[in-house]
Amino acid sequence: MNKKTDVLVIGAGLSGMMAAARAAQSGKKVTLLTKGMGTLSLTSGCIDLWGYEVDNPKQPCGNPFTQIQKVVEQNPGHPYAKVYDVLKESLTFFQDICDKDGLTYRDNGGENWLLPTAVGTLRPTYLAPASMAVKDLNKVKQIVVAGFDELKDFYPEVLVTNLKKSKLLRPDCELTVAHLKSGWKKLYATSLAHRLEQPEGQQEAIRQLKPLIKPGAIVLFPPALGERRDIDVAGLISKGLGCSVYEVTNLPPALPGQRLQDLFLKYLKNQGVTVILSSTVTGAQVAGNRCSHVTAEGAGKTFTISAQTYILATGSFVGGGFDSKPGQIEETIFGLPINTGDGKWASGEFLSLKGHPFNRFGIDVNNRLQPVDGQSKVILENVLVTGANLSGSEFSIEKCGNGVALASGFKAGKLAGEVSR
Amino acid sequence: MATEKVQVVVVGGGATGTGILRDLAMRGISALLVEQGDLAHGTSSRFHGLLHSGGRYAVKDQEAAKECLEENMILRRIASDCVEPTGGLFAALPEDDPAYAEKWVKACAESGIKTEELNVKELLKKYPVLSPRITKAYSTPDAAVDGFRLLWSNVNSARRYGAKMVTYHKLSAVSRANGAITGVELTNTLNGEITSVECQMVINAAGAWAGEVATMAGLEIHMIKDKGTLLAFNHRLTNQVVNRLRPPGDADIFVPHGTITLLGTTSIAVEDPNCTKPSEIEVENMLNIGRETMPNIDNYRIIRAFAGVRPLYQANKGAGGRAVTRNFALIDHEQKDGLKGLVSIVGGKFTTYRLMAEKTVDLAAKKLGNNTPCRTAEEPLTQPVTSEMLERGKKVFGVPGYKKAAERLGDAYGKVVEKAEQDPSMRRMFCECELVSASEIDYVAKDGDSKTLSDIRRKTRMGMGTCQGIFCSYRTLGALGNNPQFTVGHREFITEFLQNRWRGIRPVLWGQQLRETQLSTGIFCSLFGMERMNDE
Amino acid sequence: MTQKHDKHLILDNCIKCSICVANCPVVKVTDKYAGPKQNGPDLERFRLDEPRAVHPSIEYCSNCKTCDVVCPSGVNVSAMNCKAKGEYVALHGAPIRDQVLGRVELICKAAQIAPWLVNWAANVKPFRAIGEATVGVAADMPFPRFASRTFLQQYKPKKINNPKGKVLYYPGCYVNYYTPQVGLALAEVFAHNGIEMVVDSFNCCGLPTVSNGLTEVAKGYARNNVAKLNSYIEKGYKIITTCPSCNLTLRQEYHELFDMDTERINNETFDAFEYLLMLHEAGKLDTRLKALPQRFGYHQPCHLRSVGFGIPSLEILRLIPQLEVHNLEAGCCGLSGSYGFKKEKYPISKEIGQNVVQSIQEAGVTQNITECGMCQLQINHLSGLPIHHPIQLLAEAYGLPSYLPK
Repeated sequence: MNKKTDVLVIGAGLSGMMAAARAAQSGKKVTLLTKGMGTLSLTSGCIDLWGYEVDNPKQPCGNPFTQIQKVVEQNPGHPYAKVYDVLKESLTFFQDICDKDGLTYRDNGGENWLLPTAVGTLRPTYLAPASMAVKDLNKVKQIVVAGFDELKDFYPEVLVTNLKKSKLLRPDCELTVAHLKSGWKKLYATSLAHRLEQPEGQQEAIRQLKPLIKPGAIVLFPPALGERRDIDVAGLISKGLGCSVYEVTNLPPALPGQRLQDLFLKYLKNQGVTVILSSTVTGAQVAGNRCSHVTAEGAGKTFTISAQTYILATGSFVGGGFDSKPGQIEETIFGLPINTGDGKWASGEFLSLKGHPFNRFGIDVNNRLQPVDGQSKVILENVLVTGANLSGSEFSIEKCGNGVALASGFKAGKLAGEVSR
Repeated sequence: MATEKVQVVVVGGGATGTGILRDLAMRGISALLVEQGDLAHGTSSRFHGLLHSGGRYAVKDQEAAKECLEENMILRRIASDCVEPTGGLFAALPEDDPAYAEKWVKACAESGIKTEELNVKELLKKYPVLSPRITKAYSTPDAAVDGFRLLWSNVNSARRYGAKMVTYHKLSAVSRANGAITGVELTNTLNGEITSVECQMVINAAGAWAGEVATMAGLEIHMIKDKGTLLAFNHRLTNQVVNRLRPPGDADIFVPHGTITLLGTTSIAVEDPNCTKPSEIEVENMLNIGRETMPNIDNYRIIRAFAGVRPLYQANKGAGGRAVTRNFALIDHEQKDGLKGLVSIVGGKFTTYRLMAEKTVDLAAKKLGNNTPCRTAEEPLTQPVTSEMLERGKKVFGVPGYKKAAERLGDAYGKVVEKAEQDPSMRRMFCECELVSASEIDYVAKDGDSKTLSDIRRKTRMGMGTCQGIFCSYRTLGALGNNPQFTVGHREFITEFLQNRWRGIRPVLWGQQLRETQLSTGIFCSLFGMERMNDE
Repeated sequence: MTQKHDKHLILDNCIKCSICVANCPVVKVTDKYAGPKQNGPDLERFRLDEPRAVHPSIEYCSNCKTCDVVCPSGVNVSAMNCKAKGEYVALHGAPIRDQVLGRVELICKAAQIAPWLVNWAANVKPFRAIGEATVGVAADMPFPRFASRTFLQQYKPKKINNPKGKVLYYPGCYVNYYTPQVGLALAEVFAHNGIEMVVDSFNCCGLPTVSNGLTEVAKGYARNNVAKLNSYIEKGYKIITTCPSCNLTLRQEYHELFDMDTERINNETFDAFEYLLMLHEAGKLDTRLKALPQRFGYHQPCHLRSVGFGIPSLEILRLIPQLEVHNLEAGCCGLSGSYGFKKEKYPISKEIGQNVVQSIQEAGVTQNITECGMCQLQINHLSGLPIHHPIQLLAEAYGLPSYLPK
């Protein structure tokens, strides 16, 4: 069977969903096909644009746009150099979609936020869901960290031990560890979230926390303050305690990224985007410098899809967009060349400011996000590349993963929308 | 400066050293074992974990083969929870000399090693991973042995007999007077503290470091340091040890080990016993050879590579590599060099560690005027966990976690189960890949010998499975919040752990392992910002 | 292609990212289930040595297959869990209740002696209370009502001249015994479009038996079904299903669970709407449809999601003028076949289904459609609203005899 569509987006991560949303806005018939859920749910759920000063990589930066401008000037190979023109527009587009569905993303007046993580570090990010956007951390008099004994992925002691060292806090800021009991035998982030959506769950948490709260306090929770977007768990607990309540970043599974994923998938379906889950694109038919159709496989049966524009949003290695063997890396659908820099894959030190070359591996594109070869010649003119498929950024060190995904997805969707039928 | 007094100081916390410690203790000789790192941090944890049936040596050295077989049978008896009686098979490919197979069958029979020819067709059906080109296959009584566990069982048994053991202590000086050893000086490698120990005898069981120890006593031992690299696959490729039916060579042994399979090894002469970094070339060479036995080997996920240095004794210079004997040598330095109170035990194989210990302690005991006979072959290292305790474990850890914990913990299992019975939060499985509970980690962290996350890892297998510790290292740190040893320096503890894992992952960084590593950078850097975290 | 993969290789694909845990509907609402990753790929490494390394919490897996759908690594988590459940039941035995609930085919056949009596008895409160107390069948979960005559008894094949295609319809137990109107509506739609449709008697697809760990029984069904289906395929028939779970089982599960070669069946088996969409893409579908000025909520069954061809029914229903279909997009309904009928699982099932109810309320729809009979039962139970198979709407829009209740 062959399916026809105007725009085929492959991948359901942030860049793919942004692309689909933007292309649908242009009135295109959009199909989004994905093997699994994108890696968005593995991220913080915040939109990091750029974290540290380009010239002083240990110093968190204030305004990320100033830094990105520097990056664009100094490093034309960085994905931001291809999408800087739409960066602000894409942020507004993103915020609008989220807002409409009741998931507010907050900026910090143009400056980066510095938001606590589960290990007590402060991570710079640009947009944060309201439930994570800790305001005026430097003014709070008490930080209560609420852990649950049954949850194995969150330890208030670790958070407190390290956050205590931050110079950002008031010197007299009191850090308090709270061990809550849920009454369940064990908790995962999602089951805790579900529990906290129930009034009894909230009451139970409030009852246990209340005696610890002092004036000027805030409470930090693991990122599990509800799954549904129609129940403001943070708000309800906050009301009960009489102080602000936030979620911190933690390892997956965590809810903030998942809420974003759910929101976008639902939004896309309501925009008339055909969403095909559990299906893998296994290959592409190419004629000259155009793709004529791709082959997809669901439950072992193959079908083809033809489109005007194909948006590659399959991600890097984790997402499954790239496959690797010793000394060899392959983009799995179109066989596009991967830029591997000087051929070195990894750094000797696992945790270092240099990051790892493999995170920079990706496909080179022109300003229209079309894949290009070493001579800057377009390889496939109706294929657009986004997000972690792009070469040249180290998301884990630069703190730019979701920013690049957002802007490149938006741009690809916009460009696909401009293609005439 | 602290001072202690014992009859014997054993240097080296490997299989031989711990075996000697136990033997000494059981004969009533007071002894202290000194290990520079964590127990088993040297070669005893860096080999393929094969408990030889002797088959591998049958053609070349029947004496060695017989020793292996005998010790193999003894260990199955005294250390049943450390031995996985998988059985082995020897398989020949068309390019392997058929005459060798004939010789081998005969030699095995002469050495008492039971072999049985297998139906190749059935074998391939059972293990489709094996090459369809296999022409002949025989079964043997090979087995897998857990090095970490066996060493700890030896030490725990020795401690019950009054022996002492310190880890993270380096031998920094040897005192001698009137042509005899009088004591040693030890330096704590974590805090630099110095302890002096008075003793009548030093037994040098330092393995690849034996030359260094001899030098400290002003003597010389010729050793060949032979590096062997190994690969750990993510799952059991077969349920039996697979050997190649040909003269021993590189990369021709696959050993299923708990949840994983080890492929080994290479053989490269090195200068430095600390040179345990596997190289990408070695990995490639090994896969090239492994592919002959298992043609699809490239499609299977390798979780890490690691290397150990075999200490091969060279009585006279010249020979090298696999031509040098795998047999051991007991050197009486009183006889050889005129230094009283120093005995070195070098070379040998893990399989025969107990025998080596016995011979060494026979000599030591004689010198010390002790004539208690050796009993290490009779008395089991640990008491089997009772079925009542297993049932209780099942209730708190579930299936199959309770069983794995019992195998790892042996005598300590009861305490770990009790703790989990009292405190439900201790039942949480921290390491989901290898099924290690919070209770087990808590117990091991408090045992007094654990200084780093890697030490906990070695004893529990936490972080040794598919994800290589991405999730459980954080959990472990979190759960140790109230343990004074682990409350500070989170960055340092995590770095130490991850960097150790990284050493092994980097040479096999492709396919799923690259995906896993990218996820790991996502968690530790993108989510946690640990690359910029500071312990101050 | 999938059928050639070495299953152990798929095990290696798991990078422990936990996306499956984060999306598992059961994990979310209960602490009794250890989780899809924990029971599946984590323990699978132990099972290579010890096949019975199965955590008892496996019985709480509802086999909704969300884990397979969300996995970015292509790991067949649910198949690992189904097999593990089989091992567990083989070792510990299944309660009599599960043995009965799993054998849907037998229940249905037995009920044919007097469907009205069974329907009456099945909804008598005291009987249900006894059923809950003695064998653990949830008293509050209504049984579906047996039709007075089965689909196979009612269906009369129509002679089609120069058919555009010929198909064998596999109705599955639910349509045959409970909702024959779905099969009859399909027959009308196919006949209207010049498709010849034949039927035959088959075994239950076996999914309920697999879900209850009765692997050997399911294997027997599978063997019979595969042989019979192949004989039709050889004669040039395409296989059509209206039940997404039957579809998934015939196409994928026999291979995944029993190592049977079903590649041909997989290629020749279609969901009814998938087939209609294919006709449409080829320009062979009659698109002269009358307006249906109504509003429906649509629920996507988990097993439809899992086969990975999107939602063909929505694409076809879009052709109906003035029909408004709102995709509820609320995840699993929670029933998962016999799962929700078990006393200890009924509350779990109900709680999972709350998302669907809430989505229905938000959308303000008063009637719904979904392909799966069990989902229909659950959504009707939880919301009290009528619910149909989308084929019934299509038949209606063609102006064919109505199979919607008046």
